[in-house]
Amino acid sequence: MTDFHPQVKQLLDGELTLADLAPELRAEGEEALRLLAAVDREPVTLPGTLGARVLAELRRRAEAPGFWRRLRLRPWTLVPAFAAGAALALLLSPPAPTRAPAAVTVRFVLFAPEAQQVALAGTFNQWDPAATPLVRTGAPGVWTATLTLPAGQHQYAFVVDGARWVADPGAPAVDDGFGRRNSVLSL
Amino acid sequence: MKTLCVALLLAIAGTPLGAQQDVSARLAGRVPPEIAALVHQLAMGAAARGLPIDPLIQKAVEGSAKGVPADRVASALRALTAQLDVANAAIQQAGSNRPDTEAIAAGAFALNAGISAKQVTALALVSRPPYSTAVTLRVASTLAAMGVPAEQTVDLVTQIIALGGPATDVLGLPGQVMAGVSQGQGRGVTPAQAAAGLARAAAARANAPGQNKPKPQHP
Amino acid sequence: MSGREGATDGQVVRAVLAGDTERYAELVTRYRDRYARYAARMLGSADEAEDAVQDAFVRAYDQLAQCRDPDKFVGWFFLILRNRCFAERRRSKDVAPLEAAGAVAAPERPEVPVEMAERRRALQHALLELTPEQREVFVLKHVEGLSYGEIAERLGTSVPSLKMRMHRAYDRLREQLRDRAP
Repeated sequence: MTDFHPQVKQLLDGELTLADLAPELRAEGEEALRLLAAVDREPVTLPGTLGARVLAELRRRAEAPGFWRRLRLRPWTLVPAFAAGAALALLLSPPAPTRAPAAVTVRFVLFAPEAQQVALAGTFNQWDPAATPLVRTGAPGVWTATLTLPAGQHQYAFVVDGARWVADPGAPAVDDGFGRRNSVLSL
Repeated sequence: MKTLCVALLLAIAGTPLGAQQDVSARLAGRVPPEIAALVHQLAMGAAARGLPIDPLIQKAVEGSAKGVPADRVASALRALTAQLDVANAAIQQAGSNRPDTEAIAAGAFALNAGISAKQVTALALVSRPPYSTAVTLRVASTLAAMGVPAEQTVDLVTQIIALGGPATDVLGLPGQVMAGVSQGQGRGVTPAQAAAGLARAAAARANAPGQNKPKPQHP
Repeated sequence: MSGREGATDGQVVRAVLAGDTERYAELVTRYRDRYARYAARMLGSADEAEDAVQDAFVRAYDQLAQCRDPDKFVGWFFLILRNRCFAERRRSKDVAPLEAAGAVAAPERPEVPVEMAERRRALQHALLELTPEQREVFVLKHVEGLSYGEIAERLGTSVPSLKMRMHRAYDRLREQLRDRAP
């Protein structure tokens, strides 16, 4: 059994002293303290030229072509708000840095624990709720569908239980012209 | 003889008759008859004015799928047609005599997202190759839909274009703003703040010492 | 062009954001050593620490507009450096461990007894065998001297989960050091 005794761990944490340990743990305690004594706490000082080198690097990057390209198009990962009806649209294949792709695979996710069925309707499937049902995943209340969509701008919404149209709370939203909101996906 | 037949077919496809058949095909079974009739009517006028008709078809199909009453769909379609007209005029203000339909559609979408006609013009003005007007307007619409105020959206997109990088830099803006928001999660960074930060940084780079990036050529 | 004495971090950050890029060097000078030791223990050598800190300053500049509170630049910078340290270890898993640890026992420090230098080297090597999360909690507590509470606040996690991580680290270190004991 190579694990330290819990009391020795407390010793290592600084919550106990060697004197607090039971006699049979002393040896182990001393071993633990020797381990800590081997920690290198020497301060590390970096060269004074670092500032100049950082500035030189910044200037070099500013002059290189495609300066902003290095920021890399990030996948559209929306911060989940796990309230009822919260949803994510995750890009599974982020666009390449130099050319917009012809098609991108997107996973749509909706957290709807009370739903019996959930569908996805949008400009990419003629707003037909029957065309793209979501399926339940392992996680309770989480529904998902994966589509490959052409590059461009798409509007969509979820249809819960065949009748309730729900915009994706995490996504940008626009007025649908009918008093509701559509979600926008830009690829 | 074969060539003549082909030419004839092509001619028919380009006529309003051909276009109407196209519209019918897309509406068939999806919208009630009175909406289909309205779409046909609006589409004929729109096509004559050089406007895209696809958004009208999409909106009609959407409204019907959502079970919206016919009169509500009708008023939405008329409103959309008006937006297409305003967008068309706004983009023409930027110097293009016959804007491409993609740009007009994007312009209408931008208006819907809260960007003003004047701002559409401003965005069209800075969209010289390699930056297409349609992409610029779509990106601006997405940013506005994310909650970035229209003025800041225009400012940010303009700043990025001014840096002269590839078009994908503009495409990446919504992602950058989202990244700024998610990095600032817990500190309450709003999309507006993230966007403002990106714009300031872009302006700083454009003016930074040692930066002699050539500006894109304006034809 | 000359730095202003006594300017706060917030003032310098705002000046840089307004276009005075040259002043960014003031922040680098101010903080280049602050987390150098942390980076050295996380990555295994002062050389790697230097690369990581330089890289982190460049990234921090790129993201400077997203620094929510310019007066808390250094805490925000730490997170960028931290990410860099974590990413670096993922990349260099195939570096021969002895090479990585070898630079730690600096031969230019004659006042350190040979035996102690060896034990330090062995422990640094063992540290590199931990997961980055385990190594980090060990470094922050036993090298940087932070309390569990302070570490929890800095990393945005809980004390109990830190302790669990640390206790696992203790066991793994013991295992590693026994394996190479003569």
